[in-house]
Amino acid sequence: MPLDITLFGIQMPTLLPIFVVSAVVQILLDRVMSDGGIYNHVWHPGLFRTAVFVCLFTAPCLLIYR
Amino acid sequence: MGAYSPFFVSLKSFPWQRTLQEWLTIDAPVLIYMAKTLIAALLALWIAMKLNMPDPRTAIFTVFIVMQPQSGLVFAKSYYRVLGTIAGVGISLVIIGMFSQDPLWFIAFFALWIGLTTAAGFKYRNFQFYGFVLAGYTLCIVALPVIETPLDVFDIAVSRFSEVIIGIMCATVVSDIIFPRRLLDSLITSEQERFYNILSTLSDPQSVFAAFDDANPAVSRFSNGVVGLNAVRINSSFESGSDRKGRQHYQHLNHEYMNLSTTFHSLKSIIAAIKNHEKTEVLSALERLYDPIASALKTLPETLLNPEDLESVIRKLLEVKNTIQERSESEHKSLKEGDDDFISAAYLIGRLVSELHHHCATYLSLLKHRLSGNTSFELSRSIRFSTHTDNVLVALAALRGSGVLLLTMLFWIWTAWPYATLSITMAVVIGLLLGTLPSPLDGVKDFFKGALIALILAAVYDFYLIPAYTSDFLTLALLLAPTLAFIGWMTTKPKLPVFTFGFVFMFMSQCALDPYYKIEPTKFMESSLAALIGILFGGLAYLLVNFWSCSLTQYRVAKVLRRQIVEVCVGPLNIERSALESTGRDLVQQFSTQGRLNMRSSRLVYEWLLSTLEIGRAILAIRRSLQRLYRQYHHSSIDTALESIKEYFESPSPLGRNELLSILEKSLQELHSFQLPSQKGQRKRIQRLIVELGLIRTVLLNSATFPVVTEDSCH
Repeated sequence: MPLDITLFGIQMPTLLPIFVVSAVVQILLDRVMSDGGIYNHVWHPGLFRTAVFVCLFTAPCLLIYR
Repeated sequence: MGAYSPFFVSLKSFPWQRTLQEWLTIDAPVLIYMAKTLIAALLALWIAMKLNMPDPRTAIFTVFIVMQPQSGLVFAKSYYRVLGTIAGVGISLVIIGMFSQDPLWFIAFFALWIGLTTAAGFKYRNFQFYGFVLAGYTLCIVALPVIETPLDVFDIAVSRFSEVIIGIMCATVVSDIIFPRRLLDSLITSEQERFYNILSTLSDPQSVFAAFDDANPAVSRFSNGVVGLNAVRINSSFESGSDRKGRQHYQHLNHEYMNLSTTFHSLKSIIAAIKNHEKTEVLSALERLYDPIASALKTLPETLLNPEDLESVIRKLLEVKNTIQERSESEHKSLKEGDDDFISAAYLIGRLVSELHHHCATYLSLLKHRLSGNTSFELSRSIRFSTHTDNVLVALAALRGSGVLLLTMLFWIWTAWPYATLSITMAVVIGLLLGTLPSPLDGVKDFFKGALIALILAAVYDFYLIPAYTSDFLTLALLLAPTLAFIGWMTTKPKLPVFTFGFVFMFMSQCALDPYYKIEPTKFMESSLAALIGILFGGLAYLLVNFWSCSLTQYRVAKVLRRQIVEVCVGPLNIERSALESTGRDLVQQFSTQGRLNMRSSRLVYEWLLSTLEIGRAILAIRRSLQRLYRQYHHSSIDTALESIKEYFESPSPLGRNELLSILEKSLQELHSFQLPSQKGQRKRIQRLIVELGLIRTVLLNSATFPVVTEDSCH
């Protein structure tokens, strides 16, 4: 994937749209996990949540900076 | 020996454990919060500098804006900040793309957008308000600097957005990972407190039968916190521990609490009226009726309730419900006079018990859900907390927002001063942000003071500390640390929010946190002057566009509440009682922070609210039973009664009140004289009609306070 992409005629770093998409995915995933009660079985819910987000965000980033 | 020396003895008798406990609960959180703020701010600054962002200040500024002690608040604020920034960036691209060549259209569109965001910020609650503030502010910081070079808008838009994201990520991650403090916990504690308050208030018959009394805090507390707790619930839904079932339970608890408090206050006002008329017989009959409730609640343990205790209370309350029904019939037969008052009060006591029973059951379900994850029953319905904002207030805010923008734009055009864009930004921020405060002018003064002090400090940093001592990020961080920690400490002080905000705003915009340091005293002076002028313009707007007064507030509240009753009379029947209650309470809450009411008139307004809620609820109940009643039992007298209630509240007058009372009296007599139908369901409905109509009459007859401005309590 290229370093920069053009959306609606605006050139921006590819990281930005990836971030927005992974944030949306994270919010949906978070809903599902909290309703499913997963956070009750996790030692540090905040850390767990952050870690999930880092995974979601960095996996596509690897494609850019490979 | 050392062990017997006086020093050692005093050391031993020193209350170590309590001191430590107190330090841990009061002082330690502040220190932790300061450390968290510092870490988040420096992290954001470092990342922004590392990524070569053109303006790292935006990132660190964002951290200070969204940072709060509880992580739920940080999430809520960040969420709306992102949304607001996206909207602001989008509209900046549009406005620059379309109108950058045409000053007139540019200014008109700009003013329209600022007016819209100010109005919307006023209309929405909690941090949604904040999203709109940011949508307006972002337009200023993106569109104004590039007005000479419109093509740069794309770069600026993308970099501002990225910087905001960096700041938000740092703030949320740090506040959720390092010693997180959950809003949910405070929600649980305050819900618990409220629940115990209800039980202890109702377990004492005196709190119901004694007169209204400011000295008894439990009674006056029995109404607080509905709106506030709702806000806490909304914000806590961003936290990881919050799930759908829990949220629904809190919604239901809040709703049931509103109903309980309305019933409680109606009962109290009727009893006060009975006392005034010295009907001791009725009063003692009511006291006998209330006895079982008090004795059922008396046996409660003082300490934490466990589900088993609560279950036994619920069982008892169910029994009490049945006893009260039987007793009220037998008591009614033994009474000779004071019929209507007794029926209404007895009905209210019955309602109080059944609502209390519901409330306990929901609380038990929540308790079980928290302890084991299983609820005792499913709450399928989710209840919306409806809000109401007065349109006059909104229009006034919009006028002020657009007005101050046009004024500063004129200033910019006339002086042709390049730094005047900063004045515009500052004036817009003041107009957007301080509008919802109880006294915006004092807020502007605080903001100005904070900005001035920050300017002095920023000058010290810019021209002495940074050039003399920094060589890399580490030294810069060390130099900045004391100030950043101090700002963190200031944000924990509830007395200085606006001062802190002014301080943060000015310090962050003037401190030389650029990727490459340059000494520019002229630029510093000019931009500081522009910002201070902007604050003055903002304050001027509050001074000029400001004709809200206590009497006007009373007039508006009375009008809105009366309109609510009229709407309930003629509007669609699918209004929920929860909507009625939450709208009214939210409205009164807003007016009491905005409307400059004094103690006496805010109390009056609150009483108006309660009588409106009671009458509105009764009318809804009457209309619902009418709908289910067979046609042959429809009596025209009820329709006339409803019609005359509506007419009275459309245009109230003392004469109209007497007329209304006589009409209600007549229709009640007619209803009593009719033969009751033999079918059980229909008979019950007619009895319900009689009770509710009687209740309306009692409320109208007894309470001196329904939403009609009779005297000027403002002076």
